[in-house]
Amino acid sequence: MNEGIGRDAGIFLVAGLCGIASGMFGIGGGVLLVPLLGLLFSFSQHRAQGTSLVALIPPTGALALVAYARDGFVSWRTGLFLIPGVFLGGIVGGKLAENLQPRRMRQVFAGILFALGAWQAFSAWWR
Amino acid sequence: MTIIILLLGLGVGVLVGLLGIGGGVVLVPAMVYLLRMDQHLAQGTSLFILLPPIGLGALREYWRQGQVDLRAGILCALGMLFGAYGGSLVALPIPSRHLQGLFGCFLVLSAVLLWRKAELKSKGRR
Repeated sequence: MNEGIGRDAGIFLVAGLCGIASGMFGIGGGVLLVPLLGLLFSFSQHRAQGTSLVALIPPTGALALVAYARDGFVSWRTGLFLIPGVFLGGIVGGKLAENLQPRRMRQVFAGILFALGAWQAFSAWWR
Repeated sequence: MTIIILLLGLGVGVLVGLLGIGGGVVLVPAMVYLLRMDQHLAQGTSLFILLPPIGLGALREYWRQGQVDLRAGILCALGMLFGAYGGSLVALPIPSRHLQGLFGCFLVLSAVLLWRKAELKSKGRR
């Protein structure tokens, strides 16, 4: 793998793009970062996923959260109840990923995302 | 309702570990449909959940297997910090209805990218 300023700068730029999506849609950005690290920088799937998790450890959405909170768009109570489950589930998922064939699983997930996205767009604009 | 929220968190967490993602991409539509939240409120709440290091447990599992590029990860974190602020400034003035539609388009795009990655992988080396 070629180390160097160019690669670093490229990763930084791609992450910035993922960040814009993160702030616009209130997500972590990993869902974009993982495939892009793989497609553009030839990370292996497991390595892309592990690296994406590093990027999610510091509060990268903090500035965006402040902007949403200022406008009253945060349900603190629901958030607090969701956090422990997500944390524990993450450990289970990490263990499962060691043993599973990740390709099939990712295809299933891509299918679910596609359906979910189409449904959201449909119910927003055509209902 | 509290039980539903706790279970929802657990389910999303498994995806976080399995796919190395933050989970917001699933949480936002789940909150909109299951908890009947407004699109902006769901997105803000999702950002709140991502504040603590919820992926830490999953990361430990990847770290033990040497599947982490720390340098790239730190660069990504920096890029996303500033990008996310910019993105939120774009999203806040957009009416909820249109934001929900855009979110849907974004999910479709992510799905295509994920699928393409899976395809390439199956053709190339393991």
